[in-house]
Amino acid sequence: MTKLPIDRTMVMYIAKKVVALIITYFIAICIVFILPRLIPANPLATKLQQIITYYIYKPELVPIVWRELLNIFQFDKPLHVQFINFLRRAFVGDFGISVDMYPMKVMDVIAMSLPWTLTLVVPAALVSWFTGNIIGAYAGYKRSGALESIIVGYSFIVSRIPYFWLAMLLLYAFAFSLRIFPVGGIYSSGLKPSFTLEFIVDYLWHYTLPFLSIYLVEVAGWMGSMRMLISGELGTDYILYSESVGVKDSTLFKYAYRNSLLPQVTGLALRLGFATTGVFIVETVFNYPGLGYFLARAIGALDYPLIQGIFLIVIATVFLANFLVDFIYALVDPRIRIGGRG
Amino acid sequence: MRVPLYIYVLIKNKRFMLGLIIFIVIVGMGLIGPLLYPRDPLTRGTKYLPPSLEYPLGTDGFGRDVFAQFLYSIRTSLAVGLITAVIATALGLVIGAIAGIKSGLVDEILMSITNIFLAVPNWLVAVLVASYLPVEYRGPHIIAFLIGLFSWPWFARAIRAQFMSLREGDFVALSRIAGYSDIRLVFEDLLPSIGPYIVGSFATFMATGIAGEAGLAMLLSTETMVKYLSLGMMLFWANYFLAYVTGAWWLFLPPGITIVALTTSLALLALGLEELFNPRLRES
Repeated sequence: MTKLPIDRTMVMYIAKKVVALIITYFIAICIVFILPRLIPANPLATKLQQIITYYIYKPELVPIVWRELLNIFQFDKPLHVQFINFLRRAFVGDFGISVDMYPMKVMDVIAMSLPWTLTLVVPAALVSWFTGNIIGAYAGYKRSGALESIIVGYSFIVSRIPYFWLAMLLLYAFAFSLRIFPVGGIYSSGLKPSFTLEFIVDYLWHYTLPFLSIYLVEVAGWMGSMRMLISGELGTDYILYSESVGVKDSTLFKYAYRNSLLPQVTGLALRLGFATTGVFIVETVFNYPGLGYFLARAIGALDYPLIQGIFLIVIATVFLANFLVDFIYALVDPRIRIGGRG
Repeated sequence: MRVPLYIYVLIKNKRFMLGLIIFIVIVGMGLIGPLLYPRDPLTRGTKYLPPSLEYPLGTDGFGRDVFAQFLYSIRTSLAVGLITAVIATALGLVIGAIAGIKSGLVDEILMSITNIFLAVPNWLVAVLVASYLPVEYRGPHIIAFLIGLFSWPWFARAIRAQFMSLREGDFVALSRIAGYSDIRLVFEDLLPSIGPYIVGSFATFMATGIAGEAGLAMLLSTETMVKYLSLGMMLFWANYFLAYVTGAWWLFLPPGITIVALTTSLALLALGLEELFNPRLRES
């Protein structure tokens, strides 16, 4: 491993990115703040009705829950006070108390569900990125074979399948018809999360179908774009020259592969936000208790504190992931740091 | 009669023609289908009937005719795609064109706004906005509107980049000498040169709208939204009735296949138009 190229340009680049990150997060917070105050149909009125019917057998809880809700939105205070309070709480990570899961704190619900979502989305995104790139590069390098046309067709169609529909197909095939995988959840009832072999095997058994429904779609996308990049790269002068002086095939492949990988890194950053939202819907299909599952529940129950909390957490996570990818990109490609365009 | 070059290029493009045929077939099903099969998609009867001659795609958990739902849903989903595409294309064109023709401060401001919209996952914002709407306003058309409102940024950037490179062309310089205003320049010189690209992006936005509505319907719908029909709502109900664990394949297979067929055919159309716009991409 060579020394990391951290110099002045790199520091400047990171500083710029951090400032942009904070500004964008600030704007996201503003959106979250303005929205409920902008929509004319008073969402809290519907919510009050719902709370009353929901706690019909525990009427003493109604005013308490209602006060909690008002406390979060603070509609009774002047607008600038509301905004400053909201801002302070959003940066500390205090989003109040969930209405649907009362009396759990929004932060606790998120802390409970975020790990499950991350264990699903991060491996699926990374594994599909790596394998997709390798398969796509190989297909692009071995031009015009049966393999290439199969891969072109597969990547073009499969990359357009919605994850959640593929999830339904997989459930129908493997859980209903063949009965070899469970229909949902993350582990069998009776087991407790622990690092025993029994639990891990059981978890992976439940994990396979949700993972596949994301992986199969994502890998198709990466295969397609990598194949195109590699075929573009193979027509460049430096490859043609190297080929003419008799550079080995495997070396040529390595050159082309490395250079084509760069745009794919940016692609990964752009794709993460999209993939996360897709994973949310997959979670509702599998009853996989991640963020998406609780988001869908919160939307159904009009649990605004939880919706806001999940929204801001996801935005923050996606921004951080983007930042990380940008950082890696700048490490790999010096041109990025000085802002040159190729 | 001479066939114009662009039509010749498109007809010769096998992938474009394949996309066009699939698209026309689905549009035909959506437009003519409900007339040929005039059964009310919301009337309730016997529940969970498998496909038969009487009910070509069976019935759902409310006993509603799935085939009738399916035909109406295609119509709605096409409208959803159109709404999204019109809004996103219009916003992207206006913002990209202004940023591309005016340089300096205007460009900087517009591009910062675009970059912020690009960084925030657009589906998520649509989910947030829609979750504040009362349930009766979460129908497919409003969702389509929201998706359109948040999916224009990449297009605005592309238009700006195209304009900035076209701006340096000799034909633009000549028009400027002839005293063209910026607006006339945009409409007479710049827009016509990227016409196919805009149409292609319109198709891409349609696909975004159709697939996006399906995803958002899954997250946002509640069991009270019985009167809404769209391909996404059909999948929501399939999920609601757990069709994939009870074996009722007729509830989720047709709408899903149609969504994939629609988005794939629109992508083929966009690809064909891009090849027309950029001859270097054409197959020799």
